[in-house]
Amino acid sequence: MLGGEDRKQPWDLGPEALAYADTLYNLARYLTANDTDAEDLVQETYSRALGSARQFTPGTNLKAWLFRILRNTFISQYRRERGNPIVGGLDTVVPMPQAPGDIARARDEVELDRLRKVVAEEIERALMTLSEDARTVILLDLEGLSEVEVAEVMGCAVGTVKSRLSRARASLRSLLTDWR
Amino acid sequence: MDCHDVREQLLDFQQGRLAPDRVTGLRRHLDGCAACAHADAVERELTQALERRTPQYPAPVALKRRLATSWPAPALPAQSGRGRPWLRLFLPAALATAALLLLVPSVRELVAPNSQGATVMVGEAVNDHVRMLQSQRPLEVESSGIHQVLPWFSGRLDFAPAIRFPGDAEFPLRGGAVGYFVDRKAAALVFGRRLHSISLFVFKADGLPWPTGKLEPAGRAEVYRTSARGFNVVLWRDGELGYALVSDVNAQDLMLLASKLSPPA
Repeated sequence: MLGGEDRKQPWDLGPEALAYADTLYNLARYLTANDTDAEDLVQETYSRALGSARQFTPGTNLKAWLFRILRNTFISQYRRERGNPIVGGLDTVVPMPQAPGDIARARDEVELDRLRKVVAEEIERALMTLSEDARTVILLDLEGLSEVEVAEVMGCAVGTVKSRLSRARASLRSLLTDWR
Repeated sequence: MDCHDVREQLLDFQQGRLAPDRVTGLRRHLDGCAACAHADAVERELTQALERRTPQYPAPVALKRRLATSWPAPALPAQSGRGRPWLRLFLPAALATAALLLLVPSVRELVAPNSQGATVMVGEAVNDHVRMLQSQRPLEVESSGIHQVLPWFSGRLDFAPAIRFPGDAEFPLRGGAVGYFVDRKAAALVFGRRLHSISLFVFKADGLPWPTGKLEPAGRAEVYRTSARGFNVVLWRDGELGYALVSDVNAQDLMLLASKLSPPA
């Protein structure tokens, strides 16, 4: 396992890093939206990871480190190749107007019921509608990364992660409950 | 603590990241505020939907093999512009180890059964099932009966997959294929259940981190039942062979099939 005190050599990173192939591919697939680009992105991520293995600090989260490399690779290569530096999406939510008590309660029930019945395809469609940053922060949170780790992956402050996650979830909620 | 404070801290509250004194205040507010209580319920429902129903894309086996055995060595020196003699010396050994460990997080988990090891097996079973579902040609042999499918495995596996259930009207056998389970070859069979698919993986059981607690009977087998990423999973071993059933059908249906596959002696 990694994290041993005597681990000094970069090639030690390979085996454990490769165990995260499924997790990394999942994020890559959601970022690139197609299998071929996702495979290329993951392969390039591992190539870069091995190349910069000496920069990894033993005892820190290897998964988060790999996610950061993957995201940076995506930003530096794929976004540029697409000529689309900022892929937009829905990150803002129009607040619902206040409704009278009975109507509000009924609407609340509908919203909850809709979320309970939402299916996988709708979740994926909603995720792909979000901006890349919003999608990434949602998926990293689902992976169980802490806010500090997500902040390191995204290269931003912890407070920014909090607000991005909150906005992204609100957008997602709105998308999932508005579809009929 | 007002509504604005509560809404800002709901996620931290639900994920256990809130200080105890704030938890008390927040709970008190939720008890008396219907709007915030609803927001709390909605956030929980959204989390549950995301955790259980977000489609997962496991890495294709071909990519994993490529990463392990054909690591893009020529690209590596380009990262720094300098050669890495150590890499050329040790890369083959590292890759051999990587190939072995590609599908498992650690050797320790293979030899020391524990809950994390069980998680590895469950995760692998779900990933293999998803691969079957996503594959353009999931079945290498289409079934017109178990007596057509089982002989097909002969010569393709280094063991004989013992299948005691040929399929029936409730669980028709659709066909089979050769797959991998963790680090070994497996017989992959697909049964139907209404419009759903159920994957059964049969593989050599030794050396895997089998779960030891929380076993329950299904036929004559003692099975480990759990769920992951929206799929139900049932694992058991019978002599030298291990069995993994995975599907999105309900747990009762999966247990019923497990008992048919392992009928009382």
